[in-house]
Amino acid sequence: MYYPYFISYMLAGLVIALLVFAWAMKNDQFRDQQRARFLPLFDAPQRKSARASRVSRIEVYTLFGLACVGLCSSFAVVIFALLRVE
Amino acid sequence: MASIVNITEKLGSQAAAKAFTLTSAVWFAFATSFGMIAAGYLIAPDFMANIEFIQFGRSRPIHVNLVLFGFVTPGLLAAALYYAPRLLRTHLYSQRLGVVTAILWNLTLVIGVISLGMGYSQGREYAELPWAVDLMIAGLFGLVIFNLFMTVHRRQEPILYVSIWYACAAVVLTAVGYCLGNVIWKPDSGALLGIPDAILLWFYGHNIFGLLLTPLALGVAYYVLPLATRSPLYSHTLSLIGFWSLIVVYTHVGTHHLLQVPVPTWLKAISIVDSVGMVIPVMVFLINIWFTVKGKLGDIHADIGAKFVFTGTIMYFFANIQGSFMALPQVQRVTHFNNWVVGHAHLGVFAFAGITALGGLYFILPKITKKPLYSRYLADLQYWLILIGVSVMIIDLTIVGLLQGNAWLNGETVYRVLPEIHLYYVIRASAGLFILSGAYLGLYNIVRTLFFNPGAATE
Ligand code: HEM
Ligand code: HEM
Repeated sequence: MYYPYFISYMLAGLVIALLVFAWAMKNDQFRDQQRARFLPLFDAPQRKSARASRVSRIEVYTLFGLACVGLCSSFAVVIFALLRVE
Repeated sequence: MASIVNITEKLGSQAAAKAFTLTSAVWFAFATSFGMIAAGYLIAPDFMANIEFIQFGRSRPIHVNLVLFGFVTPGLLAAALYYAPRLLRTHLYSQRLGVVTAILWNLTLVIGVISLGMGYSQGREYAELPWAVDLMIAGLFGLVIFNLFMTVHRRQEPILYVSIWYACAAVVLTAVGYCLGNVIWKPDSGALLGIPDAILLWFYGHNIFGLLLTPLALGVAYYVLPLATRSPLYSHTLSLIGFWSLIVVYTHVGTHHLLQVPVPTWLKAISIVDSVGMVIPVMVFLINIWFTVKGKLGDIHADIGAKFVFTGTIMYFFANIQGSFMALPQVQRVTHFNNWVVGHAHLGVFAFAGITALGGLYFILPKITKKPLYSRYLADLQYWLILIGVSVMIIDLTIVGLLQGNAWLNGETVYRVLPEIHLYYVIRASAGLFILSGAYLGLYNIVRTLFFNPGAATE
């Protein structure tokens, strides 16, 4: 019988997660979210932003093409699987 | 002790991040080499027949454990050790401890490879490493936790940015999950008995992807992409919703690996529902990060690190869409037990987490060495080698998976199917060559950047 162990482990996980969440609430981790958005940018050097070049556009199209191939094959297999269901 | 002080001093101000960067680059090369060996055996089973150390049953777990614990995890940790102090406006608690961790990390991997090569394997996927190595890995995560949490404790910035949440959660959950999943209290077998062992193993196994690689990679993306495009995060609240929903949902999906196994139905139902529910944290992340970089593709293209990371986010999208479908029992009747899953594994672990790790390394390298990258050209070349290699590999394995799954449903015998898929194994190995050359080029570039970089200092 492993269930008592599994269940007590799950409960422990739940309790710890709730405790961390409560800590976050109490410490105002969910306040001041507008400032939080800028945290990575602190001490970032100001540079002029780069213009998109032709190469980069080709790269984006390539990635987009890959994306379509990936999605199509996923859908193909779903349809294939559903057709096979007797 | 004196020598560690020496090494730390030699490595300079960001010694810990540098040590982990080097670790990742070196093991990437080793890990793909073992992947190539394994792929060779699948083409020709008597390939290097008499070398016991690397026969398929040994080189496969060596490959898998090395990519997970040698390449991707240290790579993502290198970035975390760099960004955590910055986001917290403090210093890393101890650079020296970081370097010690990296040295022990390498030692552990060497021992792990030797023991797997000698046949000391516990035979459970992702938990093959023998007990002593398990203990070492758990201890290593303990050291990282200590360093990271002490840094958080000393922070000047009260708010924890979402990357910090992800990094801390990843190391804590993995330290605990690793001990449980490897049944560390049973040194001889490292396993429970029967079905409960399968449930526990896959709870742990999926947590390696879901609660180690994914959160560490998301943490890197949330740091690198806003910084590279110099735009604030689209929404920090949304990112926290993503974090908490990931913790809630991802912990429950392990049993989707066992849908064809007699485990309790309610457990399967939970795993399926939550696998589909994974769409929420994933889309929350993608919407957030893609809106952040919207209209700034030029900046992403200009920074090789950001380019890798951005590609990783696209691959994350696929891994998730594909994964959610694969968790549907009807679909899995075709895709389970064959190369489709191996394709998904390379999509998730490599194309998403691994490429993000490389992006993190290239992003921090100029900052930790205070010099430009040794060669941007080589890094670009590596990008394309890897992207082409992994895409071909995934599509190829997906096709093989469909052939195998279809044959299985039709009741065809294995010996008739194997010749049919032989060609695809050859294609997979050729795609692997692209990745392999990418790995060695990257190693050269990173070593040159770290130690023999003629470029002028930037700061
Ligand atoms: C986010 C949503 C995801 C879902 C719902 C999902 C779902 C699945 C399912 C159902 C399987 C089992 C397939 C089978 O055995 O028939 C699987 C396998 C796997 N997944 Fe995912 N996946 C997701 C994302 C990821 C990511 C991000 C990674 C990597 C970081 C990943 C890595 C893997 C690996 C390595 C396996 C192979 C396990 C094995 O050795 O059998 N997955 N996934
Ligand atoms: C040179 C490039 C590579 C080659 C030739 C290669 C080859 C292989 C082979 C032959 C297997 C065993 C599949 C089987 O048992 O049928 C495998 C499994 C695996 N590889 Fe690779 N690999 C390469 C690169 C990578 C990289 C870079 C990563 C991750 C960063 C990776 C992650 C994995 C994972 C997670 C598995 C386990 C899959 C599962 O159990 O479903 N591989 N690889």
